[in-house]
Amino acid sequence: MLIEARHLSYTYMPGTPFQIQALKDINLTVHKGEFVGVIGETGSGKTTLIQHFNGLLKPTEGELLVNGENVWTEGTGLRQLRSRIALLFQFPEHQLFEETVFKDIAFGPRNMGLEGSEVEKRVRYSMELMGLKYSLYKDRSPFSLSGGEKRRTAMAGIMAMDPEVIILDEPAAGMDPLGRRKFMEKICMLHRDEKITVILVTHNMEEVSRLADRLFVLSQGKMVLEGKPSLVFNSPDTIREAGLDIPSLTYLLTRMRESGKEIRTDIFTVEEAGEEILRFCGEANR
Amino acid sequence: MSMRSITLGHYLPGESVLHRLDPRVKLVTLFTLIVALFMIKSFTGFFLYGLFIFAIFISSGLPWRYFLRGLRPVLYIIIFTLVLHFIFTKGGQVYWRWGVLTIEEAGLVMGSFMTLRLALLVITTLMITLTTSPISFADGIEYWLRPLRRFGVPGHEIAMMMTIALRFIPTLMEESDKIRKAQMARGADFETGNIFRRARNLVPLLVPLFVSAFRRADELAVAMEARCYRGGEGRTKMRELHTGAVDYIGVLTVGALLAGIIVSGV
Amino acid sequence: MEAIIQVRNLTHDYQLSGNEMIRAIEDLSLEIEEGSYVALVGPNGSGKSTLARHFNAILTPTSGEVMVDGLSTADEQNCWEIRRRVGMVFQNPDNQIVATTVEEDVAFGLENLGVAPELIRRRVAETLDMIGLSSYAQQPPHLLSGGQKQKLSIAGIIAMRPRCLVLDEPTAMLDPRGRTEVLGTVKQLNSQEKITVVHITHFMEEALEADQVVVLAEGKIVRIGEPQEIFGGELNLEELGLEVPTVPKLAHILRQGGLKIPDGVLSMEQLVNSLC
Repeated sequence: MLIEARHLSYTYMPGTPFQIQALKDINLTVHKGEFVGVIGETGSGKTTLIQHFNGLLKPTEGELLVNGENVWTEGTGLRQLRSRIALLFQFPEHQLFEETVFKDIAFGPRNMGLEGSEVEKRVRYSMELMGLKYSLYKDRSPFSLSGGEKRRTAMAGIMAMDPEVIILDEPAAGMDPLGRRKFMEKICMLHRDEKITVILVTHNMEEVSRLADRLFVLSQGKMVLEGKPSLVFNSPDTIREAGLDIPSLTYLLTRMRESGKEIRTDIFTVEEAGEEILRFCGEANR
Repeated sequence: MSMRSITLGHYLPGESVLHRLDPRVKLVTLFTLIVALFMIKSFTGFFLYGLFIFAIFISSGLPWRYFLRGLRPVLYIIIFTLVLHFIFTKGGQVYWRWGVLTIEEAGLVMGSFMTLRLALLVITTLMITLTTSPISFADGIEYWLRPLRRFGVPGHEIAMMMTIALRFIPTLMEESDKIRKAQMARGADFETGNIFRRARNLVPLLVPLFVSAFRRADELAVAMEARCYRGGEGRTKMRELHTGAVDYIGVLTVGALLAGIIVSGV
Repeated sequence: MEAIIQVRNLTHDYQLSGNEMIRAIEDLSLEIEEGSYVALVGPNGSGKSTLARHFNAILTPTSGEVMVDGLSTADEQNCWEIRRRVGMVFQNPDNQIVATTVEEDVAFGLENLGVAPELIRRRVAETLDMIGLSSYAQQPPHLLSGGQKQKLSIAGIIAMRPRCLVLDEPTAMLDPRGRTEVLGTVKQLNSQEKITVVHITHFMEEALEADQVVVLAEGKIVRIGEPQEIFGGELNLEELGLEVPTVPKLAHILRQGGLKIPDGVLSMEQLVNSLC
């Protein structure tokens, strides 16, 4: 599934004294099977942008195309679109409402018009996918779960629609480091094994630089940078102007390179950075 | 985001005499004006009262358009009252007849009379609410309820509840917008179907909203206690209410108006 | 230095439905020195928040004792005095702001204490100035950013002139900018106003700034020491469900690889200097 934005602009409450232009002339393409990151400080338009991808917001100007078709032309099934391009909001545990975990996860599939054994199959599948043992959890009240379990239930509710694209808005916000790592590993697994396209909105530069194929950098409603993480973080000035930080490893490696050392800077994990520094020092000593 | 910039309540800040009146005085003034309105017996009375209100309106500097927009919802009730009286109040000369329906003199007079009273009542109240911040309203109410404490009326608690409600309305509106979108992303449909279907479709929105409101209430209670909140007893206020010359003049003016209406019998 | 908070053999049980009990804290002893900056870290469910709630008598011990400035939290009579001396900031900035304008909210605690109106106004102005929110005094709180809201919550506590500030994951719901703002404010209050700070967090990077780090797991203290001691040496924090911050982790790898990295390197700047 291919998502394209062409000259997309969005204004909140147009024609009133309160009007705010949240997005200005955004052009982008998300390819099938990609893992893209959307970064930018609070108020830069990230959340507004992703709500266009599944038709929750209608562009004030420009258009949003999915597989080449304008989402907002008559006859396009918006609800069907939303099951193929699923969106998980920030703190998604706040959207749980049913009496049991099963019913809550079944909400999406039922809205798609599915019934009976197909719903059960999907709920079971997505619960196991998110590490919630079906027999153990299906009859529990979602409100009795721990924070992490609630979050995974909400995620399972999205996965039960069997989407091709998942959009995640700061999905690990507020989790402790261990919970965060596990949750992000799940997302990577979905991307790798289920070939799901992932669009990740996050404030965590270290994480997104490690995970994403490509980054979109937003600042004040405009796209200021776009490309591979190594390329994007190669423009530290633009990144800082956008109110963001470069990952600390990039900072270290860049500083070393600036001091004349022949060292790679496109590394985003501590282990690889360690190896690279040791490699360089080993060669330098020889 | 979309809800953020909307200021809630109808309050329009300003510096006019009406704006500066002490909220306690304002409540008394409003009460007196309403009593005066119900004492009026003639169209002359309404005319004079209307002039008085008009003068205050001009001095308050409230924008016309904004004010009229505030009146719009009540307009239907006013028209409805007028029509009811035209049709059902009988007596005097018959002006118009259609089958069993007649419009008679008494209907016209009573209809216009009641409509004028209702319209002036709404205008007076709206004018006061537009110039008073909800929070100082709460202060005023707390003050006047204080003597009733003896009879078990929790004045302070009522005022505190009003404050907290005002504080959390924007937060909950933002939240309901978010939950609505989150459920729409799961295929929920809030826009089509008949009224029963629509009501049932609201469950996925309302349940999370209530759960969240309760959670917030819980956390807020702990936070308030951690800040030494223990009810109204021994509590002071940063903003002290002061009555000044403006307030005395205000009370005197509306007092005079009421007395004038009663004495002259207009 | 004197201890402002003394915890002796504290045990805390939560009553679940029926007769079921869950032990959140077990036989824990700890002293917090006046004027220090203590970071309390541990995975979810380690008892961090429960412990913090004992510091200002929101919870009272199942057994053992918590003394705040010489006052026992078990004695109900001390409750308000303790809360005045130990202020608490919570995780969700939205759910601790009571009033409809910034200055009114800062005044809330002082009003509860029955401070004279004129003094309230002076203290509110001073506090807003100190925290850097003066220009927002008349604004409704919902128009503030997350970081500003959290600073407002801190201001509401500071206005009461407490001796100790307990922050329960104050940055968990904030973006990086908000986090920096709040941490800056807290550090400033500790260094300039000499307010004791107990900072509960699951971001290890934030714990690097503290004088002392207390690591909790399953209701017990498993490590206690200066950041260098906790993060500088051999690391097995990951077993506890905690992340080792980037710099100590990388320094450790490099040391094992035979590079000479001085002990106690905690900031990226230090590491850069030792490598360039």
